[in-house]
Amino acid sequence: MEQIITYILLALMLIFSVMTVTSGRILRSAVYLLTVLVATAAIYFIMQYQFLAAVQITLYAGGIVVLIIFSILLTHHIEHRMENPVFWKAMISALAALGAVAMIAWVLKDAQSIQNVAGFIPPKMEDIGMALLSYGKQGYVLPFEVISVLLLAAMIGAIAVAKPALLQFKNKNFKQDDQ
Amino acid sequence: MSWDQLLFMRHEIILIILMLVMIIANLLTKDENKEKLIHLASILFFANLIAGFLPARYGSAFGSMFVANQSGIMMKNILNIATFIVILQSGEWLKKEIENKPRIADFFILILASLIGMFFMISSGHFLMLFIGLELATIPVAALAAFEQGKRKSAEAGVKLILLSTFSAAIMLFGLGMIYGSTGSMYFNEVLTNFNGSALGMLGFVFFFSGLAFKISIVPFHLWTADVYEGAPVNVTSYLSVVSKAAALYILMVVFYTVFINISASWTEILYIVSILTMTLGNLFAIRQKNIKRFMAFSSIAQAGFILLGIIGGAGMGMTVVMYFILIYVFSNLAVFGIATSVYRHSGKEKIRDLDGFYQTNPRLSLIMMLALFSLAGIPPVAGFFGKFFLFTAAASKGYFWLVLIAVLNATIYLYYYLMVVKAMFINQSDEAIDTIQSDFPMRLSLALCAIALIAIGFIGPLYEWINNVATAF
Amino acid sequence: MNADYILLFFLTGILMVAGGMIMAYMISPKSENKQKRETYESGIPTIGKTWVQFKVGYYLFAILFLIFDVETVFIFPWAVAMKKVGMTAFVEILIFFVILGIGLLYAWKKNALEWE
Repeated sequence: MEQIITYILLALMLIFSVMTVTSGRILRSAVYLLTVLVATAAIYFIMQYQFLAAVQITLYAGGIVVLIIFSILLTHHIEHRMENPVFWKAMISALAALGAVAMIAWVLKDAQSIQNVAGFIPPKMEDIGMALLSYGKQGYVLPFEVISVLLLAAMIGAIAVAKPALLQFKNKNFKQDDQ
Repeated sequence: MSWDQLLFMRHEIILIILMLVMIIANLLTKDENKEKLIHLASILFFANLIAGFLPARYGSAFGSMFVANQSGIMMKNILNIATFIVILQSGEWLKKEIENKPRIADFFILILASLIGMFFMISSGHFLMLFIGLELATIPVAALAAFEQGKRKSAEAGVKLILLSTFSAAIMLFGLGMIYGSTGSMYFNEVLTNFNGSALGMLGFVFFFSGLAFKISIVPFHLWTADVYEGAPVNVTSYLSVVSKAAALYILMVVFYTVFINISASWTEILYIVSILTMTLGNLFAIRQKNIKRFMAFSSIAQAGFILLGIIGGAGMGMTVVMYFILIYVFSNLAVFGIATSVYRHSGKEKIRDLDGFYQTNPRLSLIMMLALFSLAGIPPVAGFFGKFFLFTAAASKGYFWLVLIAVLNATIYLYYYLMVVKAMFINQSDEAIDTIQSDFPMRLSLALCAIALIAIGFIGPLYEWINNVATAF
Repeated sequence: MNADYILLFFLTGILMVAGGMIMAYMISPKSENKQKRETYESGIPTIGKTWVQFKVGYYLFAILFLIFDVETVFIFPWAVAMKKVGMTAFVEILIFFVILGIGLLYAWKKNALEWE
C-alpha cells in the first residue's frame, strides 16, 4: 500500500516537474511547481519525517510559492508565452539531463552505506529541538544563530534593492526638498 | 562549554556587533546626516582591523563545529585589510549619488554581513557551517551588485549573480548530501576518517568542488563573471573580485588539504586540467576586452588559475605560497580598482582606450596603476613577481614541469595585455585625456596603502617566513 | 500506516471538490445565454491587456513574510525542547529574536512596511 502511494506521488512529482519546465506560461509553471512541492511534503509524511513535512508545507508551499508568484506578477509581460527552444538545443539539454540522471542513478544503485547511516527511526520533534539548542558535539546552536544573521542580511538586502531609494527617507519633507 | 570558548570567535562576534551598531546608528541618524555614517563605518572598521591583530587564542568551540587556527585567523586579517580598503574607496561613490544617500548604511551593513559569512566559512569544522557561511557571504553581495537602482546593468548583474549562485549552492548541497550519505557525518575530521573513495563519495566531492568553483569562477563555471563584474558598481566589483574570491580559494584549499587529503591524487588531476583551462581561457578572453571592468574580470579568472597551481603544490608549501599570493593579489587588484573608481567617478569613463594620455594629467595615479599592473603581471621587483615565482616553485617541487611551462607561457600573454594598459597610459597621446583627478582623502589613503604594500611585501623577507610558519603550523 | 492517511487525505480532497461540482451540476437550474459567458457579466468589456504589473510592495511583503516564516519553523522545535534545556534555550532564542527584531525595526523605519 505504502509503496503504491509512494510511486503514485513520485510519478506526480515527475510529471509536474516536467510540466513546470516545459510550460510556456510562467504563472502556470509556478502552480505546477506548487504541486511538486506538496507532493514532496507527502513523501516526507510517508517516511514519517513529520517535522520536515511541516517545514516543506509552511516554507515552500506557503512562503516561497507566494514569493515566486508575486515576483512573476511584478514583471511586465506576464501573459507573454515563452517560445519553444530550438529542437537541437532541446535535444542536447535533454541528453545532458538524462546523462546526469543515469550517472546519479548508477552511483546510488551501488551505494550500500546509505541504510547504515540514516537509521530507520525518524527523529522526534523534541530530538530536533535538543539538537538545535545544544552546543556540544552534534549540537547545532551555532548555525542556528548564524541563520538569524543570514535572515537579517537577506531582509536588509531585499529592502535596499527593491524599495525605491527616495522613499526610504524617514522624513518625507526632506525627500521632497532633495528632488 | 565555557565562556572563553567564545573568545575563539572574537573576529566574528566583533563583526556582528559592528553590523548591529551600524543598523542602530542608521536608525538614529537624521536624513541630512547620513553621510556621517561613512566616517563612522570607516573608524569602526579600522578599530576592528586593529583588534584582529591582537594575539588570538586557538581551539575549537561548539563541538568542533567552529575551529580557530592560526592560518584561518591570518586569512581573516587579510580579508579585514581588503575590506577596509574597499570601504575607504567607496565613500566618494556613496556620497555623490543622490540615490545612494538613504542607503549609505545599507552598503556597509551588507558588506559586513558578507564578511561575517566568510569568517564563519573560514573557521568552519562542519560542512553545514561552511554552507551557511557561504550563503551568508553570497546573498548580501548579490544585493550589493544590484545596488544602483537606476541602472539596468546593475540589476542584471544582481539577478545573474543571485540565480547562478543559488544554482551552484544547490549543486553543492546535493554533493554534501552524497558525502553525508557515504560517510555518515558532516564534521570535517569524521569525513576525513570515514571517506573511503566510494563512487557516491567521489560524486559528492565533484559536486562540492563544482559548487565552490562557481564562487571562484574557475573555467567551466566562469560564465557569470564578466557580466556581473561589468554591471555591478565598481566598489562592489572590487569586493567581489578580491574578498569573495580570496575567501573561497582559501576554503577550497583548506577543505582539500584537511578533509579530502586521502584522495589527493584525484583532486590533483582535476586541478591540473582545470588550472590550465582557467589560465588560458581567462588570458585569451582578457586580450579582447575593451571595458576595464570586464578586463579585470578575465584577468582575475586567470589569476585564480595561477593560484590553483599553488594548491597543487600540496600542504605546507602550497598553503604558504597561496596565502602569500592572495595577500599580494589583494593589494594589486584593489589598487587597480581604486583607480578605476576614481576615473569613473570623475569622468564616467570605463574603457581602456579612455586611459590614453593618463600620465600627462595624472602622473601619480598612473604610477600606482603601473605598479599594480606590474605586480599582477609578475614583473620584478614588484611584489607580484615573488608571489608568482613561489607559485611556480610550489608546482615544480611536485614535479609538474609541463604545468609550470604552460603557466609560464600564460604569464607571457599576461604580460602583453597588462603592458597594453600601461602603454595606453604612458605612451599613447590623446587630446581628450582625463582631467586631473582630485580624489578625497580616504581614496588617496587607500591607494597609498596599496602602493606601499606592493613595494614593501616583496622586500620584507621575514613576511614570507612568517606566513610559512603559520601555514605549516596549521 | 502513514501512507493510508495520505491516501485518505487525497481521496477526501478529491471527493470534496469533485462531489461539490457534481452536486452543483445535478441540482442547479440551467439557463444559457451569450452574456453569461462574459467575464464581467454586467460590466464594461475590458480594453487592452487585462494583466497588470504589480507594485514592488507586494514583493517586499512576501519576502518579509517568508523570513518570519523561517523563524517560526525554528520556534517549533525550540518550544518542544525548551523545558528540558532550560535557561540556555531561553538565552539562545533571545539572541535569535533580538537579531531578527532589529531587522523588523529596520524594515519599519525604512518605510518598507508602508503602502505608497
